[in-house]
Amino acid sequence: MIGSVFLETYRQTWKQMVYWGIGLAALGLLVVIMVPLFDMQQMRELLESFPPFILALVGVGEELEIFATNEGFVAIGFFGKSALIFAVYPVVMGMRITANDEDSGVMDAVLSLPLERGRVIIEKFLAYGVSIIGVVLLIYLGLHLGAVLGGVELDVARLAEVTFYLIPLMIFVMAATLFIGVLARRRQVALGLITAFVIVSYMLQTIGTAAEGTVAETIGIVSFLTYYNTGDLLNQGFNWTHIAGFTLLSAVLLLASMYRYQQRDIGI
Amino acid sequence: MVPNAIIETRGLSKIYGSGAQSTTALDSLNLQVNQGEIFGYLGPNGAGKTTTIRLLLDLIRPSAGAATIFGDDIRAKSVDIHRRIGFLPGELSLWEGRSGKQIINFVANVRGDADGILKQAEKIAERLELDTTKRVRDLSSGNKRKLGLVLALMHDPELLILDEPTNGLDPLVQQTFHEMMNEYRQRGKTVFLSSHVLSEVQAICDRVGILRDGDLKAVESVEGLTQVEFHHIEVSYREAVPPELRERLAGMPQVSDVAVHGRRLDLRLVGDFDPLLRELGAGYVELLRIEEPTLEDIFLAFYSDKEKV
Repeated sequence: MIGSVFLETYRQTWKQMVYWGIGLAALGLLVVIMVPLFDMQQMRELLESFPPFILALVGVGEELEIFATNEGFVAIGFFGKSALIFAVYPVVMGMRITANDEDSGVMDAVLSLPLERGRVIIEKFLAYGVSIIGVVLLIYLGLHLGAVLGGVELDVARLAEVTFYLIPLMIFVMAATLFIGVLARRRQVALGLITAFVIVSYMLQTIGTAAEGTVAETIGIVSFLTYYNTGDLLNQGFNWTHIAGFTLLSAVLLLASMYRYQQRDIGI
Repeated sequence: MVPNAIIETRGLSKIYGSGAQSTTALDSLNLQVNQGEIFGYLGPNGAGKTTTIRLLLDLIRPSAGAATIFGDDIRAKSVDIHRRIGFLPGELSLWEGRSGKQIINFVANVRGDADGILKQAEKIAERLELDTTKRVRDLSSGNKRKLGLVLALMHDPELLILDEPTNGLDPLVQQTFHEMMNEYRQRGKTVFLSSHVLSEVQAICDRVGILRDGDLKAVESVEGLTQVEFHHIEVSYREAVPPELRERLAGMPQVSDVAVHGRRLDLRLVGDFDPLLRELGAGYVELLRIEEPTLEDIFLAFYSDKEKV
């Protein structure tokens, strides 16, 4: 039956989605509740006193004005500092699409059923994609709840854009993890490679942001995190070109994974 | 193609790795398994049994050759073939956090006709005395095996492919399994099972294939294989074994494995009895015991290079 792998995958995942969502939402809620404790004017002066490299570490670029607002504070305190944490969940989910089941031998049992390999990948990808959307929704609810509980005035629309922009980013990380898992075959190797990919991307983005006008900035464009710029999001809203780019790359990685998985031996 | 061939392989080969590091796991396998038979696939660990099964299931791809199941190419029609087969892997891995019932539901949903399949699964689980409410991680290896059998059998497949099916099952459940396989055969279904439990193969299989280092050494009916021309012979003398008899026997080309234990003489004979009986008559024979070779003896004969059976 079409959708049976999707449903089974979702049944296996929804609890983790809720746990991760609640955890990240609680973190966001705490950051929002702390907003009234800070004077934004002082915050701006503080930010101006930091060298660019330190600001880059917490995801702040040139636009200091925007970060001296309530939304900007949340963007730095939560989204900027948690960039790597947001990458962990899609990596975990991406590993589950093929690498974990193949390594444990479960894939032998699954693929002995009347299921095409491509269908298994696509249904699992969709199920984990839905769980990513669930996590992001919970994060947004956490931020919203924090604003209500703390009596903090937030531009809800802007905050929603910063939050929901995580979806294409996280789905891209999941697609990249899937692709690496399909190529690497072994779970540990795949995990090592994707971890290296995320950390190197983080470093390139950080150095690129800190060292404007240098080669480092040019190199930084290859980092996917460069395209998760909370300052730009707060200033200009969604960058649809970037969203299209993430979506296209995710689709290409998904299709390439399906093709490669169809060709190769399982569990070798 | 032979009309009643359910599984047919032609020059099926699998080489792992490449260059100097390559290993031939299966070498040009030509095999036919017919409808309504239980075919035993014998061989020690690393002989290529699991490789053959994984090739048939399209989990790995052949380096050369081809195979058909139900007349369909295993690669081109794998999904259609999988609808009609039940499979039990040698090392069954399932999602640890799911219960047996949840996994059964999933497989039934994938296969369609979930209601009918679930009823059948319930019956099989009852017969194997399996508690399907437990999570996989809480099941013993034997119970995990039972769950694997339920999953393989519950849609009443036309062909069963079982890799070491009774590993970890207690003797009573093994007996139930043998009964189930016999019933299955009586209904015209086909079983391809790999095993190194020779007594099991002898008890339920119609034919066996013996595999060694990826090479199929023989395919025989179980009956035919046990009627090979060698026997174990035990001779008990009233007094000591006649002097020099051992040396004389050792010089006979059809006699091997001569051993003296006090007044008892053990040996293995290939071919006619008469020349041996003439030599044994050198002393007073109290007891002469002749044993047919078991499948295990034949199996060992294939794997020792002493003699070609």
